[in-house]
Amino acid sequence: MLVSLNWLKEFVDIKMAPFDFGEALTMSGTKVETLTVVSENVVNIFTGQITKIEAHPNADKLTVCTVDMGTDQRVIVTAAKNVFEGAIVPVAIDGAVIANGTKIGTNDFRGLLSYGMFCSIEELGMNTDLFSKEIMEGILILPENTPLGMDARELLWLDDVIIDVELTANRSDCQSIVGIAREAAATLDLPMAEVPVYDATAESADEIADYLAVRIEDSACPRYVAKMLKVKKIEDSPLWMQKKLLNSGVRPINNIVDVTNYVMLELGQPLHAFDYHSLKSQEIVVTTTADKKMVTLDDKEREIDESMLMITNGKAPVAIAGVMGGENSEITDKTSLIVLESANFNKGSVRLTAKQLGLRTEASSRFEKGVDPELAAVAALRATQLLLDIGACDVIEGMIDVYPQVTELKKVALDVNWFNAFVGISLTVEEVSSMLTRLFFTVKKISDAVLEVEVPSYRMDIALKEDLAEEVVRIFGYDRIPGTIMGGETMVGGKTPVQKFEDSLKNILVGQGYYETLTSSFTSEKRLHGLNTQLEDNLIPLINPLGEENSIMRHTLVGHQLEVISLNYNRKNPAGRFFELSNTYRKNTKPGELPIEAKKLAISAYGSGDYFKLKGVVELLLTHSGINDPEFVAGGSDFLHPGRKAEIFVAGVKLGEIGEIHPMVVKHYELPKRCYVCQLSFDELFECATLDNKFTDLPKFPASNRDLAILIKDEIPAAAIAAIIRKNSGEILESIELFDVYTGAQIPAGYKSLAYALNFRHHERTLTDNDINPVIDQILGELKQAFDAQLRE
Amino acid sequence: MELELKQLRDRCIADLSAVTELKSLDNVRIKYLGKKGELTIALKGMGKLSNEERPVIGKLANEIREEIESNIMAQKQLLEQQEIEAQIKEERIDVSLPGQKHQAGNLHPLTTIINDLKEIFLGMGFSIAEGPEIEWAKYNFDYLNVPQDHSARDLQDTFYYQDDIVLRTQTSPVQVRVMEEQQPPLRIISPGRVYRFDEIDATHSPVFHQMEGLVIDKGITMSDLKGTLDLFAKKLFGEQTKTKFRPHQFYFTEPSAEMDVTCFKCGGVGCKVCSNTGWIEILGCGMVHPNVLRFCGIDPDEYSGFAFGMGLDRITMIKYGINDLRLLFENDLRFLAQFK
Ligand SMILES: [Zn+2]
Repeated sequence: MLVSLNWLKEFVDIKMAPFDFGEALTMSGTKVETLTVVSENVVNIFTGQITKIEAHPNADKLTVCTVDMGTDQRVIVTAAKNVFEGAIVPVAIDGAVIANGTKIGTNDFRGLLSYGMFCSIEELGMNTDLFSKEIMEGILILPENTPLGMDARELLWLDDVIIDVELTANRSDCQSIVGIAREAAATLDLPMAEVPVYDATAESADEIADYLAVRIEDSACPRYVAKMLKVKKIEDSPLWMQKKLLNSGVRPINNIVDVTNYVMLELGQPLHAFDYHSLKSQEIVVTTTADKKMVTLDDKEREIDESMLMITNGKAPVAIAGVMGGENSEITDKTSLIVLESANFNKGSVRLTAKQLGLRTEASSRFEKGVDPELAAVAALRATQLLLDIGACDVIEGMIDVYPQVTELKKVALDVNWFNAFVGISLTVEEVSSMLTRLFFTVKKISDAVLEVEVPSYRMDIALKEDLAEEVVRIFGYDRIPGTIMGGETMVGGKTPVQKFEDSLKNILVGQGYYETLTSSFTSEKRLHGLNTQLEDNLIPLINPLGEENSIMRHTLVGHQLEVISLNYNRKNPAGRFFELSNTYRKNTKPGELPIEAKKLAISAYGSGDYFKLKGVVELLLTHSGINDPEFVAGGSDFLHPGRKAEIFVAGVKLGEIGEIHPMVVKHYELPKRCYVCQLSFDELFECATLDNKFTDLPKFPASNRDLAILIKDEIPAAAIAAIIRKNSGEILESIELFDVYTGAQIPAGYKSLAYALNFRHHERTLTDNDINPVIDQILGELKQAFDAQLRE
Repeated sequence: MELELKQLRDRCIADLSAVTELKSLDNVRIKYLGKKGELTIALKGMGKLSNEERPVIGKLANEIREEIESNIMAQKQLLEQQEIEAQIKEERIDVSLPGQKHQAGNLHPLTTIINDLKEIFLGMGFSIAEGPEIEWAKYNFDYLNVPQDHSARDLQDTFYYQDDIVLRTQTSPVQVRVMEEQQPPLRIISPGRVYRFDEIDATHSPVFHQMEGLVIDKGITMSDLKGTLDLFAKKLFGEQTKTKFRPHQFYFTEPSAEMDVTCFKCGGVGCKVCSNTGWIEILGCGMVHPNVLRFCGIDPDEYSGFAFGMGLDRITMIKYGINDLRLLFENDLRFLAQFK
């Protein structure tokens, strides 16, 4: 919200430098984002009246103006077309600087000297967005009664500082100059001026009743105040009003509309003015209607429905409550009677309507945050006062005020001892009381340490003692609270075993040259199709995704790993190794429960290494997890190469799968020809892991080594051979290592030779050939029987 | 005889000094001291000597044997040394040639930051809590005191899976779950993934990360909140870091604050990183709202506590000077490999 410091100063006598004032406001809870002088550069621009305009003897497009500067006369040569005799304009005299920093001097225009320059709003540094194109392109013509020789900086508030404040959602009462002024007064401990309002106490209530009645038919409107006025003349509002609107970022329109905007900015109450005769009715009804369409003030046709609160004339809508007025009852040059609406609408109702219409206005955004119903009458009387002050209207006596349920003031008790203990400071009852009083609370001491605090109606955010604690503390100063180290019980804290396990897996992968990735949780049907896999029916689609590509919560990390590989490959990174440990999501078949979130570990590589390289890393992780006998069984998902994929089992539990990416998938994701991926279920891996290491005595007896080269049909998996060797060796087999796989000229086609190094050891004695030879015979026997395997000599 | 022995000795010494290889040294030993060696043979002639001569010659023979042996030993040492020297000379390498490549990967910078933060809070007795990312709306909003008609609940702000199930918009629901399940005293942090309906750009992402902290105990004060978070800031950004607490508003806490830290880049004088303010906004915090405590079955008259929350992606960007959030999620190796 933009706040004019000059306007603020009319309520609170702020003497400190703008920057310091901004800091003070921020530290008491009104966050100041920026402080900007309207026109930093402008100097030496004064008002002058054009007394005579003559043609330039040497140039058709130039005119020569004689200007009365109040103290002297000077000649200005101009190309401007909108100037006229009698016009009062800003004149940049010799030595002036305009908004863009250009210095103005005395210049020769085709043989005639010009002692300065007339200025446009852009040259003055004013916000060009707030003026019509016509005004923007010409010289700024000032009102007739503007004094001559006045410094434009002061006259137009070019020296004003615009404070951009960020308001928190709970402080709807600060959405106005008065609201910020209250904060400023409390923060600086200064008095605050009152807002002059029209005194209607002596008025007859009958006059307005001849014209209008108001009925509320919906609880979304807690209060509706209407005041009527006779228009004397629709014209521009006075300069003092316009410049306040301009410095608040609001475009001046005419005296009536400007007053409604002025009061909204000043008090925070949105107002609307209807043309009485266009209402074509003697009543205003606040209700919902079955109408489908209406045209709003901005000449746009809006689709409305029965969920939206409307202001009607009893038959048709004339305004969308709290959002925007209707074109059908708009103020025009011919308007002679106005109805000034100062109403209160529920924030939820306005929010939904504005959202549905895609129409956010100054009014709706204020109502959305919540407006104090008490403000409605004050604002109507303030607007009346202003319309009278500027000579725009005459009053019609009486005011309509439909206010079914008057809000009662809340009272909250505050125990100062509790307060001190809660915050960790020690203020006296008097100190607390005075700070609350500064914030316009009414404070009564009801016992030694307890205050009864009456909350002003506009402080809708205050309900509990904790709320009051914040009020006191922010005035006391958060920076004055000491910092202490927590007392209480000593807490050990620390990581759980699974958290440590997670870290250790990541560390191993990092040590092996893998980079951790961070990918989004979203995927989509299209993206999953690339995985060559039938879509499962346990996916988690979102109701409101950000586009198709983000429409499903991922149930696998593989797609994202492939996207990472693809990105890197296509950016010419020659090789990459990646991993990610992240959640995956799927439907829960149990009714009434949240979806299942399962952590998975994905590892992928391209550009170097092969299936066995990746498998080695996986085996390393498994060994680290205390898993020594994982099984890699041919098979796995369809996104993997049918001849190069395996599922990983531990004691019958499937931990995941590993393999080379299927050529079809390679094509779809634009991957390098060979890439490899493994995905493990982290939760199951942790289940299977044995993490408590135990010491075993070093062997006291020597080991015996035997090498076996087995000739066997190519299609028999090595794992099957190893299984037979293990089974027949029993406990004395200390280790088994496959050290050579040979296919080629030396052996028959369709066969391979697998060379194993076996290590036997007994813990209580030295093994002899008598121990080992029978074992070897048994192994060879079973291999022969099962696979027709031969010992290769 | 005596002369014979002395000549033998001189011959042997001459032979020894001619030896240049260790393996030839044994030949000399055999030639003179072996079973059929010259000295052995010469001594066999001692039987012919007189009784007077025998002890004298015997003594001389022994002396000569010892002399020869010590000469052999000396020559051996000399040759061994020469051999080592030759080997050393032979084996010289260019130590300035590059080492064999071993490439370690590294953690994602976000993980590194999370680890740093965990480290700090674990040291203060905190535990790490986790909770579902797909969460009941009531845990994400209602129990956190978010008003029923608040716009955060809109489809334009929050992702919905079902009418009553959302992608959590903050990690705060974890705190609710912990408070429901455990009795105070509590000290937890909960880092994790959160979601908001934002298109991805340089500073926004629909998927991002937060870490929240919660302390509940008897007699916890706002002073404790300030002291704890000030300590945290000093540990994360350095001892010289100062903090500033500004009043703010959150539904979950009352009173609430935002904490700024002095810019680690310029130390508070103002630079590009801090938009010339000298301060960087780091986290939101406050005293846990009594409504929230009550929702979770904790008596606010007996217990109090504070909570804080921060955007991890933002802190990662600030700490490493990363200028575009999208880089964190893109996973270009040339980016990833910068965070060893
Ligand atoms: Zn800085």
